Amino acid sequence: MTENYSTALQTIINEFKNITPEITNTFMFKKNGEIIASTETTTEDQNKKLIATFNDIVDQAENIGDIETLTIQGADSQLSITSMNNRYLVNVSSRAADEKIVKTLTRVIVPTVVKLVDQIPELSGNELPQAKKPEVKPIEEIVLPDEQATHSESIPDVSASFSSEPMLPEPPVNQFMIEKIGGLLVPCDIVRVDSEVIAKWHDIYGDKEITQVHIETLEGKAIICRFKPIKETSHNAKGIIQFPEKVLQALQTSKGKLVIVKPVITCQGEKIVAAKNKRQRS
Amino acid sequence: MLQQKTSANAAETTLTNEVVITSVDGENSAFASLSASLAEIRKLKGVIGYILRSNTSAILDLTEPDKITQKVILSSQIHDSCQEIGKQFNLGEMESVLVEGENVKVLCMSIGENKISVFMEKNATHSWIIKRILI
Repeated sequence: MTENYSTALQTIINEFKNITPEITNTFMFKKNGEIIASTETTTEDQNKKLIATFNDIVDQAENIGDIETLTIQGADSQLSITSMNNRYLVNVSSRAADEKIVKTLTRVIVPTVVKLVDQIPELSGNELPQAKKPEVKPIEEIVLPDEQATHSESIPDVSASFSSEPMLPEPPVNQFMIEKIGGLLVPCDIVRVDSEVIAKWHDIYGDKEITQVHIETLEGKAIICRFKPIKETSHNAKGIIQFPEKVLQALQTSKGKLVIVKPVITCQGEKIVAAKNKRQRS
Repeated sequence: MLQQKTSANAAETTLTNEVVITSVDGENSAFASLSASLAEIRKLKGVIGYILRSNTSAILDLTEPDKITQKVILSSQIHDSCQEIGKQFNLGEMESVLVEGENVKVLCMSIGENKISVFMEKNATHSWIIKRILI
């Protein structure tokens, strides 16, 4: 039992009177009789007598299961003893006290705090528990820079260079169904997107250059590649994205499946980093 | 099971489904009235049994004969200890004591010299029983 532990409980007990002035005495003791926290309104001798008397009942209570609560209603005041995780909380209040508040404090709040305090490992000094950093699984990114080859890469670290450019709005996310395109004149690294959607992107980003899209499958496979508008105006292109065979293979997906598409907005700073990364690769 | 009834003038023993040991002092009318109330309460769903005792008489209506002694001792201990705690913390005249165990709860009350303990399941409504006894 650390000092911090006892202090935490003492603080809560001291607050009881602020919440309900009708609460006159409160203290907490362990099953072995050790007093953990107590208000100043009771003497240690008084508390010890109560513990001894209560233990006389506990000794005989085997056939009703261990005592969870004991409540004495007197004409003027009431006393309750609540068991919580090898400890007992004693609370004395006048009969005028709001029963709901008293019950909330003694049967909900304090037991919850005790449970939480128990879960925190023993602290020493000012040492605080270190929050566990969540493990971040990077999404596998596949970049198709040209028609030569398809290879996996991690997204370049943009955080290294902060741009003074104004903040851009978050890229809109669209969901499309895959349609396969083929033919001799179809470039194998370019996808085709509904021209209305492309127009919307240009409306949002003005004169920013948008040449690539980020495509992600529902399975988490992602790719960045160039795009062009869907050619035939008569074609019902709404909700459709056209993939050449190579992109389908790279994403390990097929016709009719859904993908999430958003435009890649290249800022000046990102361009510098991208150029650096390209130089390093070469 | 044994039913035993004893008074100043008569004593009889009969066999029933429950253990009921009665020692009635004919002059204690409050005791008789409480005994009638408790017999009604005993029929309520969730009530396991009761003990009623005065300085001279006692009625026990409890299931589980092998645990009767333990329950009597517990009842007596609750009354005595809670009287002591009540005095120590200036709670005033004791109206009721409720002891909730893991499986069972016990409601103890003192009406004059008569001491009552009602054993019930945890989901039974004890507040209604208090009202019924105080009528």
